Amino acid sequence: MTTALPITEPFVRLGELQPKVCAVVRRIETEDDSMERLKALGICIGRQVELVKRGDPLIVRVYGSRLGISARLANRVLVEPCTGGCSTPTPAQT
Amino acid sequence: MHGRLFDSNPRANLTMATVPPIAGLDEHGATASRSHHFTLALAGNPNAGKTTLFNALTGLRAKTSNFPGTTIERKVGRVRLSDRQIIVVDLPGLYSLESTSPEEQIAAQALSGRLTEHGKADAVVLVVDATNLERNLFLVSQVLELQIPTVVALNMIDLAQRHGLKIDPARLRLELGCPVVPISARHGTGIDLLQREIERLAAPCSSPLDFLPPMPACAGCSGCQFQTRYAWTEGISSRCVTRSHETRGSRTEKIDEILTRPIIGVAAFFAVMFGVFFLIFQCARIPMDLIDGFFAHVAGFAARHLPEGLWSSLVVNGIIHGVGGILVFLPQICIMFFFLSLMEDTGYFARAAFVMDRLMRRIGLPGKAFVPLLSAHACALPAIMSTRVIEDRRDRIVTILVAPLMSCSARIPVYTMLIALLFPHSPIKAALMFTGAYAVGVTTALVMAWVFKRTILPGQSKPLVLELPPYRLPGLRNALLQMFDRASVFIRTAGTTILCISVALWFLASFPRVAPPSAAVALNAESTSLAQQGKAKEATAKRNEAETVAARDQLDRSLAGRLGHTLEPVLKPLGFDWQIGIGVITSFAAREVIVSTLGVVYGVGSNAAEEHPESLYDTLRQARRADGSAVFNTANCFSLLIFYVLAAQCLPTQAVTRRETGTWKWPLFQIAYMTGLAYMAAFLVFQVLRHFGFA
Repeated sequence: MTTALPITEPFVRLGELQPKVCAVVRRIETEDDSMERLKALGICIGRQVELVKRGDPLIVRVYGSRLGISARLANRVLVEPCTGGCSTPTPAQT
Repeated sequence: MHGRLFDSNPRANLTMATVPPIAGLDEHGATASRSHHFTLALAGNPNAGKTTLFNALTGLRAKTSNFPGTTIERKVGRVRLSDRQIIVVDLPGLYSLESTSPEEQIAAQALSGRLTEHGKADAVVLVVDATNLERNLFLVSQVLELQIPTVVALNMIDLAQRHGLKIDPARLRLELGCPVVPISARHGTGIDLLQREIERLAAPCSSPLDFLPPMPACAGCSGCQFQTRYAWTEGISSRCVTRSHETRGSRTEKIDEILTRPIIGVAAFFAVMFGVFFLIFQCARIPMDLIDGFFAHVAGFAARHLPEGLWSSLVVNGIIHGVGGILVFLPQICIMFFFLSLMEDTGYFARAAFVMDRLMRRIGLPGKAFVPLLSAHACALPAIMSTRVIEDRRDRIVTILVAPLMSCSARIPVYTMLIALLFPHSPIKAALMFTGAYAVGVTTALVMAWVFKRTILPGQSKPLVLELPPYRLPGLRNALLQMFDRASVFIRTAGTTILCISVALWFLASFPRVAPPSAAVALNAESTSLAQQGKAKEATAKRNEAETVAARDQLDRSLAGRLGHTLEPVLKPLGFDWQIGIGVITSFAAREVIVSTLGVVYGVGSNAAEEHPESLYDTLRQARRADGSAVFNTANCFSLLIFYVLAAQCLPTQAVTRRETGTWKWPLFQIAYMTGLAYMAAFLVFQVLRHFGFA
């Protein structure tokens, strides 16, 4: 489904993230209704997410909630793994 | 009750809204406040506890109806707060005002006043999940911009505290510019405080736009709205929430580790559904028999006390039978929705949809479609009513269309009869036959769903986006309210249709009236003379025989009988004669009716057929045509069986489909395609078997 654009930045697809590693959403490949819904639920650029469980569908944690998402949708979201290692998925302690 | 008089002029609403807060409560303001009903909308994210709060506010006084012109439900309740009648509307849960799902759009329209019926909501209670503030504040930021008087109900505050989240409501109130009341809807804490705030609602709160940073200048970039709002919610959260020890969701995660695994998860789900089914079958039996028995008594009572004739027949066979036919569905509907509500409340339902999603995608339906399809094995009616959980309309219609193909409990008496005719002495073959009938139903339903998704309702189903809420103990009160609610919706909307069908079928079977045939007259005369000789037992037997003969003659010459005769050429290729034709026609009220109809047609009597099925089976086995061949043979028993597996012979199903789809188009299509399928399958089965000499 996903158009295999070459990824130049050090981004990975959300579905390919290592479980229990938190990451920041950097890019969203194609926009549609389902993606709008995902954004309303908190998966939008700049937010921290964490892959809880791989597979299809997979489980992602964003803020205090856990979302079950189809892999083909999740793979349209490109994330950058946090290097500093952040323990909580809420980056609100700034 | 002078408070009932109210001004329907929308202008009055506006004036009300600007009355200073306390004025409505004091002596002088009281008259003004009584002049109209204040409409309060309840909005919030799904799983934020909106319905629990709604139940806590309104209790049993709520009523479910559709938003005008849609099939989307809303609950409306009334609550009296210090002399003011307040209408509370529970809107569908929503994540964003700009969502594309129909339910969320309706909720958004209701909030922004684009739905005209109640006018713009006078005030909003925004239910916010305290354990997930950042996400929930997203919707808050949008709703506050609508400039409606708003109270934020900070729900599940007890849970948040337990998970080490300390929220400062005073600070939050300052940040949002509107009242914030910490509550626990489940335990009823803070509800009184919330009610006081609702009373005070009048002046619009200050716009949160003051707090929002200016929108970045990048036209056409849809990501910005989300980015900006989430930056805002995170900022507020960081200022209002202090975290001591973060424990939210650890227990949930442990349970999910098991329940969302592909194989164990599916197995666990099947185990749960098997349990629910078992309860539906076992527990529903008792009240269903009681209802049946009760209506049989009422019918008997009415038959004895009403003067014999047309009216008595209408009351007994049309109306009492019809009302009984509606109520007999209730036990299954109640049990089903009680358990569905428990499953939803605990959060398990989301997991079931999650694990089934991958399997269901193969036929093009979402995981959520599985529960209705499975529960259609008990009864298609509650199954179709429960398709509301499916968000996409096309997916929902496909599920509704194929659900009645699953073998429901009403088919069991028919299967039992036919299988007894086919394999009277072989329990193993009988069991295999039963399994086969169920398998044909399931397979056809899945294949048809696949076909519909590729033809009349095309479109890739939306990818799964589903919140997995934390597991919680379910609320019994919610489950019971949900059960009563579904039962009343069923009676109000499908009840009338079912009653009409029952009366119409009574009409078909009773008109035109014919005089009792000479054989019946002779039997009656014999009965009278026997009675005179003091042989009461023989007299009753003769009278019953006379009644059976008369009933058979009446049905034979009635409209239904003529229809049976007229349809005979059409049904002949399936191996059905006109008697079976009458059975097929009368089954449209409910499938199991064919058993008692065949009882009447073959002269066993309808009661005998139900009470002593063996006597009916024997009669049917021995029934002969004019040429001496058996009426029931292997070929036409198989063809009748396959016909009953596939045909849409349950008009109540169409009544419910009409309600759930909002148009007659789909129930008519449902009848047409199912009957078409049934006809073709029965035709093939009969012709093939006859070819090989089984007729």
